[in-house]
Amino acid sequence: MADADTDRLAARRPLSPHLTIFKPILTMMMSVAHRITGAGLYVGMALLALFLLGAAVGGGAYSAVSWIGSGFIGNLVVLMVVWAIFHHLLGGVRHALWDRGLYMDAKGRELLAQGTLVGGILLTLLVYIFKTLAS
Amino acid sequence: MTVATRFKSGRTGPGDAYVSDHSGSPHARFMRLTSYALAPLGALSAWWILGLAGKPLEGVRAEIGRPIPALVLLAFGVVGMIHARRGMDDIIEDYVHDKALKAQAIVANTWASRAIAAIWVLAILLIAAPK
Repeated sequence: MADADTDRLAARRPLSPHLTIFKPILTMMMSVAHRITGAGLYVGMALLALFLLGAAVGGGAYSAVSWIGSGFIGNLVVLMVVWAIFHHLLGGVRHALWDRGLYMDAKGRELLAQGTLVGGILLTLLVYIFKTLAS
Repeated sequence: MTVATRFKSGRTGPGDAYVSDHSGSPHARFMRLTSYALAPLGALSAWWILGLAGKPLEGVRAEIGRPIPALVLLAFGVVGMIHARRGMDDIIEDYVHDKALKAQAIVANTWASRAIAAIWVLAILLIAAPK
């Protein structure tokens, strides 16, 4: 089929109602959160890469990027990155389980959605507490 | 085993109902395989990344300068950005509908992800490589 025909058909096809109309349920929210944490980690890795480069070069380069790792904003950036890693990681575990046909019933997927949300926060807190105690 | 179909777009055809010769399955497999590596790397990296917060320059260098954190963070940055590039491709393909803009965004993503990985690797090597 020619491209123009495909385009015309695509334009006539109704769009999915999408987020504005669906009832917000936890499994959907966790799917959205998986994508947001993924995109957030992309940005977070960019920031941390600059931070590490600044630390490697030292001097003025470090003072230019130190806001990424210290102070209020820096602590927030680092904490958000750590939380995003754990949340996205648990979201991935959820997908790995689903790939194997496990936890796909209503109860199972609700449990995994709750586990992702609570687990991500809990792991972040645990690491934060252990790290604070260790230092 | 791979099964090739005769159809370019692969939507339907006699005897070949709803098969695709596009890259969906390899993409999904790629994301999963990289994620298996990223799960342990990410958990360990989170530990050391959190340790960076609020440290003075010397503290940051000492944290990254040890061999195991350096190697794990190095691997996390490289595999992570390979995984992140494909993930961002998904996001672009889902939300950017203009064909020209989509093509530009995909190229920008390719080079941005490579640049981030390169800066990440360079920085860790500068700090941790034996002088």
